[in-house]
Amino acid sequence: MASMEKRLQKELQALQRDPPVGVKVDTDKLTSNLSEWTVNLTGAPGTLYEGENFVLHFKFGSRYPFDSPQVIFGGANIPVHPHVYSNGHICLSILTEDWSPALSVQSVCLSIVSMLSSCKEKKRPPDNAIYVKTCSKNPKKTRWWYHDDQV
Amino acid sequence: MGNCLNTPTADDISLLRGSDSQDGSETANLGPPPPYQESVPIYHPSPNVSRTVTQLTEEEQIKIAKRLGLIQHLPTGVHDGCCKKTKECVICMGEFILGDRLRYLPCMHSFHKDCIDDWLMRSFTCPSCMEPVDAALLTTYETNN
Ligand SMILES: [Zn+2]
Ligand SMILES: [Zn+2]
Ligand SMILES: [Zn+2]
Repeated sequence: MASMEKRLQKELQALQRDPPVGVKVDTDKLTSNLSEWTVNLTGAPGTLYEGENFVLHFKFGSRYPFDSPQVIFGGANIPVHPHVYSNGHICLSILTEDWSPALSVQSVCLSIVSMLSSCKEKKRPPDNAIYVKTCSKNPKKTRWWYHDDQV
Repeated sequence: MGNCLNTPTADDISLLRGSDSQDGSETANLGPPPPYQESVPIYHPSPNVSRTVTQLTEEEQIKIAKRLGLIQHLPTGVHDGCCKKTKECVICMGEFILGDRLRYLPCMHSFHKDCIDDWLMRSFTCPSCMEPVDAALLTTYETNN
C-alpha cells in the first residue's frame, strides 16, 4: 500500500471514530485507493451559514501529505463567502503555500468551517467574475493573491 | 509503521531517491544501500514543484546541495520506546516504534527521519509549528561556538 493510502486510511478511521461537529465523510463516495473524498459540511449554529449543507471534494495525489490535496466546494450549494468563488474554488493559504504535512482532512475541514463561521457578510470575492472565467480547473494552479485575512 | 521503518544503515541515500523511496518495498533494503539507483531522482526545489536533475536551474541545484548539507546537521536518533516523548509522527501518522530512525528539529519536534527529510527538501519549516528550520539552526550554531 502506498504511503499516501496508508495515511489516508488512518485519517479516515480517526474521522469515523471521532467526527468533528459539522464534518462528515461520505464513505459511499470514497474511491478504492482513497484518492478522492467527498465530505459534507454543515454551517455552524449562530453563524450566517447555520443549517446550510455544503459538499467538499478532496483529491489527493500520490505525494500526499507532502503535497497539499486539491479541495473545492461542489454540489448545488456553494457557500457565498468573500473567499469562495462561485465555481467552488477556495482562497485559503493552507491549501497551497502554507500547506504542512501535519495538516489533515480534518484540519482542512475545520479551517474551512471556521472561515465560514467568521464571515460577517455573505458576498463573493471582488474578482469572482473574472476569476471564474479565466482560472484553471485545478485551484492549486492558481497563483493566489490571498485576500486580506480580516474578512 | 511500514514504509517509515528504516534500517539504521540505510542512510541519506534514501533522500536522493526522491519519490521512489516512498513505497512499501523499502523495508527489504538491509545493509548499506548501493550508492546510485537506476531511477531518476526527483527533486522538489519548493513545495508542489517536482523536477529531475536536468530540469533544475543552477540556482535550484545550489539550493538543493545546501539543503542536503543543512539536513545532515540536524540530530538523528533511534526511538528508545520512552513513553514520555512524542508518540506519533505527524507526517505518516504512524506511531513511533522501538528502533525507528527519528530526526529532531531545533524546535524539539521529532519525526521519522525518512518522513521529515522528504519534507525538508521541499520546505525548510517544521510541519508541526511552522518554525523555519534554518534560522533556528543558525542560532544554535552561534550559541555553541
Ligand atoms: Zn480570499
Ligand atoms: Zn513518519
Ligand atoms: Zn516544530
